[in-house]
Amino acid sequence: MKTYQFTKSQELFKRAAKVIPCGIYGHFSPAPLVPATSYPFYTARSAGARFWDVDGNEFIDYMCAYGPMILGYNHPLVDQAAAKQIQSSNCTTGAPSVMVELAEFMVDLIPAADWVFFAKNGADVTNYSTMIARDATGRKKIVMIKGGYHGASSWMQAPGHHGTIEEDAENIIRIPWNDVPAFEKAIENNPNDIAGFIATPYHVPVFADNEMPDEGYWKKIEALCRKHGIVLIVDDIRHGFRMDIGGSCEYFGFTPDLICFCKALANGYPISALMGSQALKDVTARVFYTGSYWFQAEPMAAALETLKELKRIDGPKKILATGKKLLDGLVKVAKTYGYDLKVTGAPSMPYLRITNDESLMLHQDWCAECTGRGAYFTSHHNWFVSTAHTDEDIQQTLEIADDAFQIIKQQYGDRF
Amino acid sequence: MGHELIKARLNLCAVLKNLEDLVQYDPEMAALSKQWNISIQFSILLGPKAFIEFQNGKCRVGQGKLPKPTIILFFFSPAHLNRMMDGRGFPIPLKGFTKIPFLNGDFQKLTKKLEYYLKPTDELLKDTTYCELNTRFTLNTAAHAIPEIGSLDRVGIHAVSHIQNGDILMKILPDGPAVTLRVRNGNITPVSGETERPMACLYMKNMQVANAFLNAKLDAFTAIASGDVMIKGQTPMLDSMGLVLDRIPLYLG
Repeated sequence: MKTYQFTKSQELFKRAAKVIPCGIYGHFSPAPLVPATSYPFYTARSAGARFWDVDGNEFIDYMCAYGPMILGYNHPLVDQAAAKQIQSSNCTTGAPSVMVELAEFMVDLIPAADWVFFAKNGADVTNYSTMIARDATGRKKIVMIKGGYHGASSWMQAPGHHGTIEEDAENIIRIPWNDVPAFEKAIENNPNDIAGFIATPYHVPVFADNEMPDEGYWKKIEALCRKHGIVLIVDDIRHGFRMDIGGSCEYFGFTPDLICFCKALANGYPISALMGSQALKDVTARVFYTGSYWFQAEPMAAALETLKELKRIDGPKKILATGKKLLDGLVKVAKTYGYDLKVTGAPSMPYLRITNDESLMLHQDWCAECTGRGAYFTSHHNWFVSTAHTDEDIQQTLEIADDAFQIIKQQYGDRF
Repeated sequence: MGHELIKARLNLCAVLKNLEDLVQYDPEMAALSKQWNISIQFSILLGPKAFIEFQNGKCRVGQGKLPKPTIILFFFSPAHLNRMMDGRGFPIPLKGFTKIPFLNGDFQKLTKKLEYYLKPTDELLKDTTYCELNTRFTLNTAAHAIPEIGSLDRVGIHAVSHIQNGDILMKILPDGPAVTLRVRNGNITPVSGETERPMACLYMKNMQVANAFLNAKLDAFTAIASGDVMIKGQTPMLDSMGLVLDRIPLYLG
């Protein structure tokens, strides 16, 4: 099987590094890709479930832009809706009318929520959710999960990271995932001082297996929040619309006070949303928060069309099924080489790890070999599946995976 | 933990540790110290203790007390030791008065040479041998500073608490020096050389890249993306280690 070269990506990166700090920053930084030089850095074009890099290499994309792409790149209905909106108006003086249409649609779509507030990025709304929780309760502390990620604002980063100070984490209490007693203890140790509990629907750490909630976990957390007047916030930014069209809380059967959406909301157009219960609507109204582009109409039109299409085709159900087909196939191929490919998380956004080598080097090499043959796999982060991934894509992916397993079997022999 | 105490521990445990390699890899210093049979105890009032021992052409730097040192140098405080290391103060000899000429003479030649290697200039780094030794010493200093900062500095303690058990290998390619950081339940032990089963690896492409990287002249993210620095394995271990390494200049910068 032909393997890819990334000459132009590297050339472009050299230019970038001269004028952009670390060339490509944030979650798109190539640093966690192992080895980084075996991955494409720059996209030239995209369509459906595929993208082509600046070297002309074609990839079946299992990262989906780290989550935003859910219906496929360049989706005609979404792009047409966005283009139509641009033609009439986009960023103007005055809120766009499509904002109301989108808000009504979302309030109907998400059973747990009665209102919606729009912003641009996930961290905009996770930040805002904590402000609302503090204002509603008059309390300071926020409980979050160790290893949880809610954006890159200083309070969300683990202490010690560059650009943060100790005081940033002063009002943050980190507890382990699935640990109800730890939450009870936090409440006991901070009487009437916990404003909010924020977590993803299930735990999605990087470089580690993803963890589903234990039976009854969310119900217990919800009950504790109700009992102690704590605002329950679900960060559905990554999971949203990949498990249930009504939000992941529907999938797991609990009712949060605030829900944060972003990523898949508009199939790649920049918009995020905070949704909440009626009880918090007036509080939200008085907590000032805004941004220069938060009233941009184009992403709102795109979001409306994305959600309509996801609802029409039952997108979450489709990608859960597609993901399962892909993962069953990959696990089977791995087994023929004596490798245990462990899958955790939902099939629509799975985390994979070859357990034979706890250092992850074997897994990293396999992911890189797959990427070098056209199936874009990362080794550190959960993958994403879209409604655009077809049976043919899966079949081709399995052939690539098989070829890559042959290579690493040759490389490692019977060491694992 | 006070700044001066952490700096003193770094001076004793990480900086002076390089004397071991200095007498091995610098021919002039190897010849100078070949016949030495002498030990020096560093003793700080209510502070850490360390020693340097020369025997059979080899040097050993360790923590704690020697049973019968030839010389004892006393310091009133960590700051006192740090002033001496910065060339702005003098120790109080408690034992080995007859060896004072040695301290002021040959031993000072040795420490001056170490200082020469640890304070590079762009001009000096053009010399391959100098660059190699500076890189080796910087790698050693970093490796031995990590356990100290990881156990004394607040940010370091937090970072190290997240490092899982396993060996972290730092190696300069193709066959340059390597150090292994053995992590066991939050304790880190630096070991010279490679490990058979590393949990995480950080490879530097060559001596020049290693020198720039270890002296913080090269952005890590850019270096990794371009392949100058290669990481593998449980890279969160390297992320946490990086946070600790970034603290070194706060004390030794």
